[in-house]
Amino acid sequence: MSAAPEIEHVDILVIGAGPAGLAAAASTASAGLTTLLVDENASPGGQIYRRITRSPFVDAAILGDDYWEGRPLVADFEASGAAFCGETQVWSLDATRRVGMSHKGRSRFVQAERVIIATGAQERPFPIPGWTLPGVMSVGAAQTVLKASALVPDGRLVIAGQGPLIWLYAAQHLRAGGTIEAILDTTPRANYLAALPLLPQFIGSRYALKGARLMREVARKTRIVRHVDALRAEGEDRVSAIRYRVGKKESRIETDILLLHQGVIPHVNLAMAAGVAHRWDERQACFAPVLDPFGQSAIDGIAIAGDGAGIGGAEAAAERGRLAAWAAIKALRPQVEDKVPPVEEILKALAGAEKGRAFLDRLFLPRKQFRVPVEDDTIVCRCEEVTAGAIRQAIKIGAAGPNQLKAYLRCGMGPCQGRLCGLTVTELIAAERAISQDETGYYRLRMPVKPITLGELAAIEPDARAVSAVVRE
Amino acid sequence: MGLGREYDVAVVGGGLLGSSLAWGLGRLGQRVVVLDEGDIAKRASRANFALVWVQTKGLGLPEYTSWTLRASETWEQLAATLETETGLDVCFRRPGGFHLALGDREMELRRDVLARLHNQPGAADYRTELLDHAGVRKMMPEIGPEVAGGSYCPYDGHVNSLRVFRALHTAFGHQGVDYRPDHAVTAISGNNGAFHLTTRHGEIVAGKVVLAAGNANAMLAPMVGLSAPMEPNRGQIVVTERAAPFLHFPMTTLRQSDEGTVMIGDSKEDEIDDRAHHMPIDVMMANRAVRMFPKLAALNVVRAWSGIRVMTRDGFPIYDQSESHPGAFVVCCHSGVTLAPNHAFDIAPMIASGVLDEAVVGAFSARRFARPSGERAA
Repeated sequence: MSAAPEIEHVDILVIGAGPAGLAAAASTASAGLTTLLVDENASPGGQIYRRITRSPFVDAAILGDDYWEGRPLVADFEASGAAFCGETQVWSLDATRRVGMSHKGRSRFVQAERVIIATGAQERPFPIPGWTLPGVMSVGAAQTVLKASALVPDGRLVIAGQGPLIWLYAAQHLRAGGTIEAILDTTPRANYLAALPLLPQFIGSRYALKGARLMREVARKTRIVRHVDALRAEGEDRVSAIRYRVGKKESRIETDILLLHQGVIPHVNLAMAAGVAHRWDERQACFAPVLDPFGQSAIDGIAIAGDGAGIGGAEAAAERGRLAAWAAIKALRPQVEDKVPPVEEILKALAGAEKGRAFLDRLFLPRKQFRVPVEDDTIVCRCEEVTAGAIRQAIKIGAAGPNQLKAYLRCGMGPCQGRLCGLTVTELIAAERAISQDETGYYRLRMPVKPITLGELAAIEPDARAVSAVVRE
Repeated sequence: MGLGREYDVAVVGGGLLGSSLAWGLGRLGQRVVVLDEGDIAKRASRANFALVWVQTKGLGLPEYTSWTLRASETWEQLAATLETETGLDVCFRRPGGFHLALGDREMELRRDVLARLHNQPGAADYRTELLDHAGVRKMMPEIGPEVAGGSYCPYDGHVNSLRVFRALHTAFGHQGVDYRPDHAVTAISGNNGAFHLTTRHGEIVAGKVVLAAGNANAMLAPMVGLSAPMEPNRGQIVVTERAAPFLHFPMTTLRQSDEGTVMIGDSKEDEIDDRAHHMPIDVMMANRAVRMFPKLAALNVVRAWSGIRVMTRDGFPIYDQSESHPGAFVVCCHSGVTLAPNHAFDIAPMIASGVLDEAVVGAFSARRFARPSGERAA
């Protein structure tokens, strides 16, 4: 066996090229730290500014002003001297900050002094009966297609759920020439009342006016059904209709495409698998990492910035990226600290960007029955086709938490590694056992957090410790 | 909760080992409580490789070879009984199993191990044969050119161990076995028909107590005058996405499950933090697996994990009843999957009767650790 190869070394590795990652990498590189920014997409921008450097849209107005706000972030990043490696999946990260990554079918390990995880958000699972039928997809997935290829889906389309993204996507979809049969808004009546005390703060925020304008724009061209209490996608081989209930009144709309969305949650897989502690966030009804005010986790040198640290939106994400960068610069190059913007300035900008967030969180807190399936036939784990009923049965025979559940039912053990069922499983067990989400816990996540082939794994040069652990003499 | 409630037997530990024992006791009409840890237990039953394995077991203790063979022969009965009781097929298959050698040096090592096993006085014949590359290829056409050969034993097999676990726990419901997760035992007192076990949810009282808590037995055993010297180690396992069945024989480091996933395993490290995971070790395991079966290269890895092996100091099981605290038993073993039928059909009845049969399990007393070293080998 040949000797272990020299491992590539960087000061700062930033994972994810959305607003948080772009801002963080630009800051650390400007301070003279060797910085590598990696992302799964070929070009920077993340989800929100997807393909911003090479958008297929000729008419800039279709995607809206917020989208194009990504341009200065990318420009700053490009001027900073940071390296960008696109089409790269990070599949492992450990407490020593050794990072396994795959680029075009070849994997390597990179050693970083500091890692800033900026992997952002994912859509909250929306487990209704029939959500696994072909033709049902998430609003986020539809928007990805729209941004990447300027395409809107063919056929009749219904959108169900709640949250700002629904209105943004609906507007973009209509501007791009699409039509919408109806929007089934699931925001509970009670949420409006509960969010009311937070309204004054929201009114002054940048979201208020934009949000109101978007909703008006969409409502002019689309039928809106409010206060939807229950949803069921129907169809044999693919979705053919959506059945819904408002109060006691049941209705049905035929459709070819059903888009679902009920907000976003932090993308926790990489951070959790690396061992970063997470705690239940009651306000956003999800797990969020335990971090200090600068985004640093309890694991030395691993920080999290952006929506992965708790949902705050794009503008706040960029500021949190700068904060994490500031902490990294202070730790590694204290002598250049005066060359970066003072931390007070970043904190002030962050406070401004977070204004109104509490209102949105409260208004768009999804109702319980859309987070914990009521019907036993609803599939929770899509990869292994485990239903809510099977999970309730397993809890009865002794599944105290998500990990015991995995052992009984393989729930969460498929290729998505729990991304689409983890939160539902925790909330379902918590509800059945009448304990808190924190006490219930989450799946213990495992590397690789992104699938890579065995052949690609096998092609990496092994080190001596690995050889002695595996080859018996 | 449970205060003052009486049980015939309290089984400490609800993994495969404790569950097999509890199930066996429940079948005999015993009133049983199983005290288990919570969701984040260092549970070997969730991390194991699911082999029912005979070849090379027993070097240094020939009785262990016979004990393992006995398990292999009764696994079918356990699987059938569980299916009748629960409707769950645990997918026990015994096509025989391989240990593959990459290169001539590994082949020589294998030959040497088998010779030493065979030469032990009193060793049971378990018909393991050495095959060269062509011999292996006849049975497994997909092997790569680097496979020099391997050993084949017809008694080897595998099972869906997670489903065994679920089946046992499901059967508890029918038997009236009281399974209690989140009831880690921190102290045991009492004697002679009334053991008091402390848990964070109160005290449990039982006539007998069986320690089946894996590596934690080392800490619990002295509370009732027993000894369980453990030396755990860590292993890593890599599992792929599902693929059409093509590996028809289980191997020591490689098997395809009934669900189609391919498991690759068997690293061994002294570190025992199961949260730590070393991807370079997975790299090494992947490397060997692909050399054994080049076709594997195309499969996606979906998960890798670390588990702590329950291991006694010499690697062999321990079955003992306390002399100072009669009614207190300790059961330790590495092979909770392989030996499950013995624990359910042999050990459980002995515990119910109050006497461990010296003729069957006498060789596995922890008293062997008190003897001067070297005596056994002589």
